[in-house]
Amino acid sequence: MNDEPILQVKNLSKTYIRGKIPVHALSDVSFNVNKGEFLSIIGPSGSGKSTFLSMIGLLDKPTKGSIFIEGAEVTKASESEAPRIRREKIGFVFQHFNLIPTLSALENVDIAMRFARVAKNKRKERAIELLTQMGLSDRMKHKPSELSGGEQQRVAIARSMANYPVIILADEPTGEVDTKTRNMIVDLLKGLSEKGQTILVVTHDMAVAERTSRMITMRDGKIESDRRL
Amino acid sequence: MFDLIIKNITQRKLRTALTVFGIALGIFAVIVMGGMSEHFNITFERSISLTADKIRVLPEGGFFGSNLNESKAREVKRVPGVSDAYGLLQAPLDPESLGFFGGDVIIGIPPEKQASLIKDTKLTEGRFLVTGDSYKAVLGSSVAREFNLKTGDEIEIKSKTVQRAASITHTRNFTIVGILEYTGSFFDNGVMIPLDRAQKFYDRGDTVSFILAVPEPDTDSDDLAKRIELNVEKVKTFSPSALRKQIEQSLVVFSLITVSAAILAAIIGGLSVMNTMLMSVSERTKEFGLMKALGAETKDILFMTMGEAALMGILGGIFGIIGGGALVYYLNEYLATQGTVLFSITPRLLFIAIAFATLLGMISGTYPAYRAARMSPMEALRYE
Repeated sequence: MNDEPILQVKNLSKTYIRGKIPVHALSDVSFNVNKGEFLSIIGPSGSGKSTFLSMIGLLDKPTKGSIFIEGAEVTKASESEAPRIRREKIGFVFQHFNLIPTLSALENVDIAMRFARVAKNKRKERAIELLTQMGLSDRMKHKPSELSGGEQQRVAIARSMANYPVIILADEPTGEVDTKTRNMIVDLLKGLSEKGQTILVVTHDMAVAERTSRMITMRDGKIESDRRL
Repeated sequence: MFDLIIKNITQRKLRTALTVFGIALGIFAVIVMGGMSEHFNITFERSISLTADKIRVLPEGGFFGSNLNESKAREVKRVPGVSDAYGLLQAPLDPESLGFFGGDVIIGIPPEKQASLIKDTKLTEGRFLVTGDSYKAVLGSSVAREFNLKTGDEIEIKSKTVQRAASITHTRNFTIVGILEYTGSFFDNGVMIPLDRAQKFYDRGDTVSFILAVPEPDTDSDDLAKRIELNVEKVKTFSPSALRKQIEQSLVVFSLITVSAAILAAIIGGLSVMNTMLMSVSERTKEFGLMKALGAETKDILFMTMGEAALMGILGGIFGIIGGGALVYYLNEYLATQGTVLFSITPRLLFIAIAFATLLGMISGTYPAYRAARMSPMEALRYE
């Protein structure tokens, strides 16, 4: 049994220069995440939670410190290695869903696997499986514009899972949906975590954070509290 | 990826159609202009190969210079290494036209030398000129088709002489005794008549337009051409290689003019691809950023965007070739009834056109693709 945490964050700092004034978005943040954890990071805007998420997702580079996913230091990954890590280890869920408007639900899930060079028949099989799991089996041929917000976010979650990621990073996944849909999406994520999927949610919605298994509160670029629920 | 490329360019039908049309127009120009240039190249190539073994002897001032007396032919023939020499008289069939490109020409020739002039060219009907023929003519295939003439028919030939301020036009009917097969050379537009009748009819006395000298076998024609110039007074010679060089030079200029006009048109088409792609890339900023976040590599995005541009180029190329080919076909059909053909679409030209269209699309797509691939996923996703 491998007891090594799936995600390790060590002394992570990020300083922006805004104008001439340095802004410490993150200062010396460290924590570990184990497999199957359903973790939420909360905090007011400007607390550094989104910056943090971008760095785990290799969308941004830290000023200091490092991040390890499955023991490998991803913060050292070069520009050319980053895409492979993104598609093999990480699944993204965004606040604005970010589906490609010209593609159907099925094709939106399919495209994530294309970049991973998955064979065509396997891609289709997996996409159908995931969309069915998300309760969208009758919406697969629909374009994003023909889907409700909740449906779009479910397509996005299906997409994030396509390549069996080590961790799903969700940035305000319920930011643009109503309460009922929010509950459904949280149920869905919780269900996935119960099946062993590691999920990290960044939110400012306490109702979402309270339903996760662990809540990290951030303030001024530092961890204020880290508690298990 | 190809399905995505096709999906993307069919997403905005009008824009794609306009862009493809832009390229198609450029390639249309390449085909039409290039076809014309190719045709001249082929015609000159065939004409030269028919007369490749002979040295041209012109009066000192060149083709339009002073008159060349027929007696010079005997002098040329006496130069060691010359096996035969004879004068030819050349005049436009229609005295009103200068007859440079595609115009029909009268060729006055000593009847017994006709076989030497046209080498292996055969007759489709009738006979060649023979010694003692008077107002008889052998027609090139294009002339025969243009005026719809057959052996036994008569052709009306006009001459124009200027006396003081007035010009007098003479007309004379020549009986057609033979028609040459199609050669693809300028002989197709020739009307061959006996030299003595031509001199009399055109009032040229004993003069000829130029003399052809046939070298003996195994004689270097360049050396011989120089020897003729040294031995015969007041003449200028063109060996086959010098003639080829001169014609090639003028063809290069002609090709340059036509081809650069066509390339200009095609580049404008290329700019339209670039414009379309830039627009489409900036519209899809977020999409490319998302693809990168999903793990797309730079080369995936380059492939996709360049593929879109190249596909528009290829489509434009195909439509341009179809359009240009159709125009050239109908124009040639029409021109054939007028006795000339102006265009040749060669496999080489088709290859150039399609390769050019694809390349143009890709090159014009390079910068927009680079912009798309450079998109940071962070920036792109924040872009709302």
